[in-house]
Amino acid sequence: MESILRIENVSKTYTGHKALDDVSMEVPRGSIYGLLGPNGAGKTTLIRVVNHMTIPDSGKVWFEDHEITADDIYQIGYMPEERGLYKKMKVGEQAVFFARMRGMGRFEAIDKLRQWFDRLGIIDWWDKKVEDLSKGMAQKVQFIATVVHEPKLLIFDEPFSGFDPINQNLLKEEILGLRDRGATVIFSTHNMESVEEICDDITLINKSRNILSGPVGEIRRKAGGNTFQVTYSGDRERFISSVSGKATLIGDSEGLIGGYTQQKIHIADDSDVRPVIGLLNENVNLRSFQEIIPSMNDIFIRAVNGTL
Amino acid sequence: MNKIGLIVEREFTERVRKKSFIITTLLTPLFMIALMVAPGLIMMKGGSSTKNVMVVDNTPGQFVGKQLVSGKTVSFTLLGEEMTVGQARSQFNDPDIAYGILVIGNDIVDNPQNLQLILNDASSMSVEDNIQSQIQGILRTERLSRYDIEDIDRILADANVRVSSIQTLKNNGLEDDGSSMEETSTATSWAMGLILGMLLYFILIVYGQQVLQSVIDEKQTRVLDVMVTSCKPFDLMMGKILGIALVAALQIVIWAVLVIGASAFIMPMVMGNSGIDIANAMASGTTDPEVIGVVSKLTNVGYLAGLFLELLLYIVGGFLFYASMYAAIGSAVDTPQDAAQFNGIIMMPVIVAIIVMMNVMNDPNSGMVFWCSMIPFTSPIVMMARIPFGIPVWQVAVSLVILYISFFLMTWIAARIFRVGVFMHGKKPSWKDLGAWIKMK
Repeated sequence: MESILRIENVSKTYTGHKALDDVSMEVPRGSIYGLLGPNGAGKTTLIRVVNHMTIPDSGKVWFEDHEITADDIYQIGYMPEERGLYKKMKVGEQAVFFARMRGMGRFEAIDKLRQWFDRLGIIDWWDKKVEDLSKGMAQKVQFIATVVHEPKLLIFDEPFSGFDPINQNLLKEEILGLRDRGATVIFSTHNMESVEEICDDITLINKSRNILSGPVGEIRRKAGGNTFQVTYSGDRERFISSVSGKATLIGDSEGLIGGYTQQKIHIADDSDVRPVIGLLNENVNLRSFQEIIPSMNDIFIRAVNGTL
Repeated sequence: MNKIGLIVEREFTERVRKKSFIITTLLTPLFMIALMVAPGLIMMKGGSSTKNVMVVDNTPGQFVGKQLVSGKTVSFTLLGEEMTVGQARSQFNDPDIAYGILVIGNDIVDNPQNLQLILNDASSMSVEDNIQSQIQGILRTERLSRYDIEDIDRILADANVRVSSIQTLKNNGLEDDGSSMEETSTATSWAMGLILGMLLYFILIVYGQQVLQSVIDEKQTRVLDVMVTSCKPFDLMMGKILGIALVAALQIVIWAVLVIGASAFIMPMVMGNSGIDIANAMASGTTDPEVIGVVSKLTNVGYLAGLFLELLLYIVGGFLFYASMYAAIGSAVDTPQDAAQFNGIIMMPVIVAIIVMMNVMNDPNSGMVFWCSMIPFTSPIVMMARIPFGIPVWQVAVSLVILYISFFLMTWIAARIFRVGVFMHGKKPSWKDLGAWIKMK
């Protein structure tokens, strides 16, 4: 797939501290891209490099078909982790100001913003000052200010922090909607559930290096390592003999209510699962056969600890 | 360019709509007028109540005590010849009855120091002045009468010449009767210059600090992160400086209108003759015509309008020059505390300028004053003091050109620091860092 953003071997050193070490990644157009990593791994620095806020010591950043320039930042909507709004300014005026800063006309901006405010249920707050808003409210304002000019690339730093579960869902829906209307979204987060739900691809950065990249489904399947959960009833010896040679048992079996037994097995990476299922079906009463896909949370922890 | 406009618009409207702006704009002139007029009024109306002073006069026939005249400030009560100082002290020791006891020595005519004031209450300068001047007058008359010269009072009055002012004129080189020459006045010029210089000083400090504060605030609230992904750092810096400059300009225009309006309509109406009284009181009771000259110049609308035009040119140049320095510092630090050190360096030339400005009256064309009015760091304030003295136009022109060129240079340097500084968080930069940022590509 064509990529909208390509980062090539970017390194950045602050005095005595390497913030990014030879990081590369490629963001496919029209995808939702998760940028993961523990605190202080270098995510924000990477985002700043993309935003032209930090100049990398080496490496290149490509936007669409050219090396990124200062003018490309107008195609990028950026919501920083530490939200920035003018506290004393009225919410509506402020949103209009930011929309105009990003090239919208005054009336177009007011029109579009009112639609957005309405949709996120904060239209009543149009004339309130930012300092009177709750954190979640201010987040919504910031979100709208980031997306209203419909940039090609959206970058959200921790978009879900500070939101209750209802508003987190609302925001997820909006992000998916933006993707469906053609935008590419990069977001950094610690919320792994949201990664499973909405990310197409991820990059995991740890200690300034890219340690894991790719489509979410593929990464999870790989991390699962072809392990399956089998639930059956019947003779254990027959179960073992029917899988031997094709799969190895992992751990002990567990008894389940109703006379069923559960057993994890591992099938060699390149072999087919159908003969195994066939044999099992003949020899025991097979109840279920399910691939074990680790959660992103597991993968994150294992990758960071180096046990993936 | 269009982004700078947007930022200017935001800075301007946000600030002008604040209550604090409206209040300071309207109250500052009132406060200034009150500050100028109040001491005069207080002096005119006199202090509080009249002080009762008991007089023990030991001169033959109590001739000194009998001549003391009671007035608004002091009321004298001459005690009988038989009363001693000790008796008087024990009898009149209540401050409600007697403010004090004046003891006049018997040889006071030959020994004027033989005079005591024993107080029951806190001492008062105006009472002492009153007593001293009365006694002095009595003794003078007494001593003169010893010479027995006829008409002595008339002779003395005639001999008491006072040259109170020189008419100073600006030579325009014409060979006419002199009526075409413009009148100048050192004291008036100095007073005008001082007021204008202080006004500019106030604007540099107050509004320069606002630029600094505004950048630091945006850095702290991280609005800056959003802003710099929407515009170039240079646009942001210029937008802020120009926006705040416009606020300052609006404030000055409002003040100018208020002052000119007041001098054109209200002052002559309200003050009339009493205006002169107030002017006199302002100068601690002297009838110095120079001071009256200042007041009459202040009521000259055309003169004021012209000065405000020049003031505005220097304010704009001086402010832009200093504001870009403040912006650069604001971008480089995280907190106002960190800014303090750099702030001190900016303040030094301003303080030098103020000191030089004070010296302008002695010689508005001395070498130091001339050069300080050319150096952009000091020229705005020093020129404010020099212009009222009528200096050559070329000097004003050259100084303005230097100032505006320096402003562009300073903006360029500041923009380079700003561009790097806005993204720096945490460590307070050193001078070396700032230098490196300027050179950075």
